Amino acid sequence: MTYYSGKDGTLTYNGTQVAKVSNWSISATVDTLETTVLTESDRSYVPGLRTISGSATVFYYGSAPVSLLERVVKTAVVSESDILGIKLGWGTKLIQGNCIITSAELSCAVGEVMQASIQFQFTGAPTGVTL
Amino acid sequence: MSFAGPSFPNIAATSRSLSAGDFPGTTFKAQDGVEVRVQYGNQRANMELSLSFDNITDANAALIYDHYHSCRGTLGVFDVAANSLTHSGNPGFHAGIASGTTNRFSATPFGMKYRYAEPPQFNSVKPGRMSATIKLIGVLDK
Repeated sequence: MTYYSGKDGTLTYNGTQVAKVSNWSISATVDTLETTVLTESDRSYVPGLRTISGSATVFYYGSAPVSLLERVVKTAVVSESDILGIKLGWGTKLIQGNCIITSAELSCAVGEVMQASIQFQFTGAPTGVTL
Repeated sequence: MSFAGPSFPNIAATSRSLSAGDFPGTTFKAQDGVEVRVQYGNQRANMELSLSFDNITDANAALIYDHYHSCRGTLGVFDVAANSLTHSGNPGFHAGIASGTTNRFSATPFGMKYRYAEPPQFNSVKPGRMSATIKLIGVLDK
């Protein structure tokens, strides 16, 4: 058994590992559908729809974040062809699936390394999960 | 006597609202403001019961759909299943109703039967779950 830390983390986009990733995070939520009926004193629920979304920050070193940014920041319209396969890994563990980049943010400030922040939303179920 | 359909399926509702209806009659109002009311009958009618069934299973939604069909839409009259009414949640509201199988949400103690006031509405929530709303009206059926 082992602990994991940032040095174990990877972000892979369409099979290619993205360089200079500073951090990533992922969040999975499930909606609840209320099934409480008359006469019941306690609310009851069944699982509803699942949402998986996440974010990542990539240092702008060379063209490291470009492949992600250009899914949103471009002259052409965003289309279904911009859905990409993404894999978040740590050690031998992974979560992967198809996602849409919903936000791309570039920041450049005095005294700081330029970096890009992206947020993504999974579409469909994860295609692979090893926890 | 109208066509009688099967009893409403025994499905507990998520929410319910009741309008108690009224006795048949006419109100005349003179220009000086005097009001005269003439009662035509001694039985109340037009009781309205609106029920919503949120996030029920497809199978239960199908029971409601099939019941509407079995009642020939808005034509047939029917009883609301005793158990559906037992799930009243308002036992104090039913004091004095003699029959053990009905309560004040039922039209039966007041000589009425329910029929659909309008076609039921179904919404798909997710695979396996649906919501339905129905509106019933109490009619005198002799």
